[in-house]
Amino acid sequence: MAEKVLEVKDLVVEFRTDRGAVKAVNGVNFDVFKGKTVGIVGESGSGKSVTALAIMGLIPNPPGRIANGQILFEGKSLVNMSASEMRKIRGNKIAMIFQEPMTSLNPVFTIGNQIEEVIELHQPHLSRSLRTAKAVDMLRLVGIPSPDKRINEYPHQLSGGMRQRVMIAIALSCEPDVLIADEPTTALDVTIQAQILELMKKLQKELGMGIILITHDLGVVAETCDTVAVMYCGQIVESADVNTLFNHPAHPYTKGLMDSIPSFDSTSGSKKERLQTIEGMVPSLFDLPNGCNFQDRCSKVTDACRGSQGDPILKPSKGEGHYVACFNPLN
Amino acid sequence: MNLYAYIFRRLLYVIPVLLGVCLIIFVLFNLVAPDPAYTLLGKHATLKQIAELHHELGMDKPYFMQYLDTVKTAFTFDFGYSWSSKQNIWEMIKTGAGPSLAITGPLFVFSNIIAISLALLVAFYRGKLIDKFVLILSIAGMSIPSLAVVLFGQYFFAYKLGWFEISGYEFGFPNFIPYVILPIILYIVISFGADTRFYRTVILDEAYQDYVRTARSKGLSELKVMFKHVLKNSMIPILTNIIIQIPSLILGLLFAESFFSIPGLGAMTINAINNSDFPVIKAMTIMSAVGFILFGVLTDVLYTVVDPRMKLN
Amino acid sequence: MSTEIKQSKSLLHNALLRIVSEKISLAALIIVGIYFLVAILTGAGLLASDWGKEIGASYMAPSSISYFGTDIFGRSVLLKTLKATETAVVIGLVVSVIAIVIGTTLGMIAGYFGGFIDEIIVWFYTTFSSIPNIMLLVAIAFILGKGTTTIFLSLGLTSWVGLCRIVRAEVMKHKEREYIHAANAIGASHLRKLWSHLLPNISHLLIINFTQTFDSAIKAEVVLSFLGLGVVGRPSWGTMIDDSKLELARGVWWQLAAATLAMFLIVLAFNILGDALRDALDPKLKGK
Repeated sequence: MAEKVLEVKDLVVEFRTDRGAVKAVNGVNFDVFKGKTVGIVGESGSGKSVTALAIMGLIPNPPGRIANGQILFEGKSLVNMSASEMRKIRGNKIAMIFQEPMTSLNPVFTIGNQIEEVIELHQPHLSRSLRTAKAVDMLRLVGIPSPDKRINEYPHQLSGGMRQRVMIAIALSCEPDVLIADEPTTALDVTIQAQILELMKKLQKELGMGIILITHDLGVVAETCDTVAVMYCGQIVESADVNTLFNHPAHPYTKGLMDSIPSFDSTSGSKKERLQTIEGMVPSLFDLPNGCNFQDRCSKVTDACRGSQGDPILKPSKGEGHYVACFNPLN
Repeated sequence: MNLYAYIFRRLLYVIPVLLGVCLIIFVLFNLVAPDPAYTLLGKHATLKQIAELHHELGMDKPYFMQYLDTVKTAFTFDFGYSWSSKQNIWEMIKTGAGPSLAITGPLFVFSNIIAISLALLVAFYRGKLIDKFVLILSIAGMSIPSLAVVLFGQYFFAYKLGWFEISGYEFGFPNFIPYVILPIILYIVISFGADTRFYRTVILDEAYQDYVRTARSKGLSELKVMFKHVLKNSMIPILTNIIIQIPSLILGLLFAESFFSIPGLGAMTINAINNSDFPVIKAMTIMSAVGFILFGVLTDVLYTVVDPRMKLN
Repeated sequence: MSTEIKQSKSLLHNALLRIVSEKISLAALIIVGIYFLVAILTGAGLLASDWGKEIGASYMAPSSISYFGTDIFGRSVLLKTLKATETAVVIGLVVSVIAIVIGTTLGMIAGYFGGFIDEIIVWFYTTFSSIPNIMLLVAIAFILGKGTTTIFLSLGLTSWVGLCRIVRAEVMKHKEREYIHAANAIGASHLRKLWSHLLPNISHLLIINFTQTFDSAIKAEVVLSFLGLGVVGRPSWGTMIDDSKLELARGVWWQLAAATLAMFLIVLAFNILGDALRDALDPKLKGK
């Protein structure tokens, strides 16, 4: 089994608002292993991005704070770490790329400057010329043509896909142990999406880092992840390795997500299937129901789901490493 | 397209605006304004005297020619003579510019330094107590009538406490210094609220951009994030706000100059109003507009230097 | 189409709710309300109608007879200050209306029709804003001569450019949205599209702008009074402050204090209200 680099334990992230405190992330657990990819799937507002920001130590405080739980990186707690210690890890050992390649780069600095900045910060022993050389190498690594020229260009001179490659170059230039990718391909064209995912997989093999891939796109998960956690209203409702999850989804919500992907599979194509949708809306974090948060949208709802037996907790389901938080799991 | 070509094209665009400014001034001073004969010749002027005066002032020319005369002054700065002092207006402006700049120059420098530093400070500590304190102070500062600040300040600090000169002026450096300190301080009080709040908004606008999150995710310190990433991006609106103040420096300060008896252009304008001295007011209006337009061009040119996104077209 | 309008209505509703729920902005709203009430009462002659009456000696210091003392003619400074509230509110309202009508009309026409019309209007306001505001104000007021009309016109004519710019940009943005295309499809006239489709969707800009113009009009009235171009025949804060320039040396501070305080409070309240409205109505500036 691969080496565990990051461990998230019972993480609770709370935000103070005008209408009281809300738990955007409520008791999340997962591990990240070297060379492996964890997918975190969920709709917007399910707490995926907040989880990522919590790991980076970038929860804006106020209004947000880590109210409970631990984040252990190589056994050390990131939650209890001082701000200056955390800065040595951020961008160096744990790096992140964001959803918005068009706006995530600073428009008034050259891309070379923006890559060199992070190298200078975490590898101060490198001379200026070595830094530049390394920045060029990074651009070449992420597949940007004629990197020695591109390095002097500004973000607005690059396409969205190219900018996301630059973001990846920035994130990887200190060879991090963990890369968090928050919807890295959502804003890009489909063909570019595939290229970027391919690139990430390739670089993972070369550098051996663990990846946390945050997405709402199950197609992306199927292609790139080793294990998957499905989030709903700030909690993980199901987690498993990718094959188990796709072949035997146990939570009705996971099943619902899968049914809402259009399928072009010819073997199942004899009868024309209608695309399924999940009825109803995600409940507001301000008034979550008792019991299961998914009860109002679930076809298998029973009294237990409505709170008569408390909230559902993540319990082992059939199969190795398969967990589900449901009173009436499927199959 | 190179920078010079851009500047040339930008200057070309100035022409219609300048012609428009002259049109407004012409309409105001030549069409709407009352006949100056009454002011200049008194109640008992004969028709002949009035006709002579109109001829002298070029008012018997067709309107279009009068308009062209206005346009001409905008380029030559040949504003003619003051009706009350009979002096050459351009000479008056040259004399008055010194005392005005002796106040507005240092005021411009200090007020902007103070406002930008305060804005950076509160943007850095946004949402914290000091941010709220400065914000309240700025809004309160903006709400005090400036005339009251000048009146009270002069009365209290110069008259009552005797810390500063009550009024007067001496030409030449450093003789003027004791006379300008109090007006400068009072105008810093008057302007700091609006400036600080403007710069704070500009800086905070940037502080919530995605690239700032990227900068933090690199592990940069908050200071570096603020001073490198945020400040460089806020520079564009900040620079605009600073540069656009420059042409009005020459206008002087209307209140302060007349209260502190400083013979600057602000005081000159006030005198001109009190004496119905049309040519002087017209001259000040034209001059300030020309300055404003030219500095507008300068701002645009600086944009292209500061912001790599600006393409020269 | 109707969803956009509904949205702007509920935005306004939410804005009001937010203002009422926050202590500071609620206080500001109450202060503004009191000032308007005072203005209405004095306007109707129910309050401070005898402001012109001599109540004692010249320059009496504040006492239980007159809380803010008397002016040179022995008139109550308190009553003058109250009566001046009416002057200020009228100036603020009329100037804002002039500025909003000019700014909105030109801005909407420019943004909606675009092309040559747009270029002409942009040229027009660029020209207007090329003359520093204070000089233009002085020039217009000076040429029109003393009087209330002068105050309205000079302040109104120097206050519309900012709004015109914003409205033009906003209309250009809205013009491309579906609900305008939908209106096109059912053959709505230009006037109808401008009036009943676009105007409701930019109304929040007018409200925010109103608070700013109201504020700056009250402040600019002081400048005009100082230039001797102020209000005649009735008290105003500007003339009161201006009068006190001769009084301070004699130790008569109460007229300056009363007018400054009265002005400070309403300008402050409008500032706070303007900020609160902007936060509530302009979601992209939220949270600043």
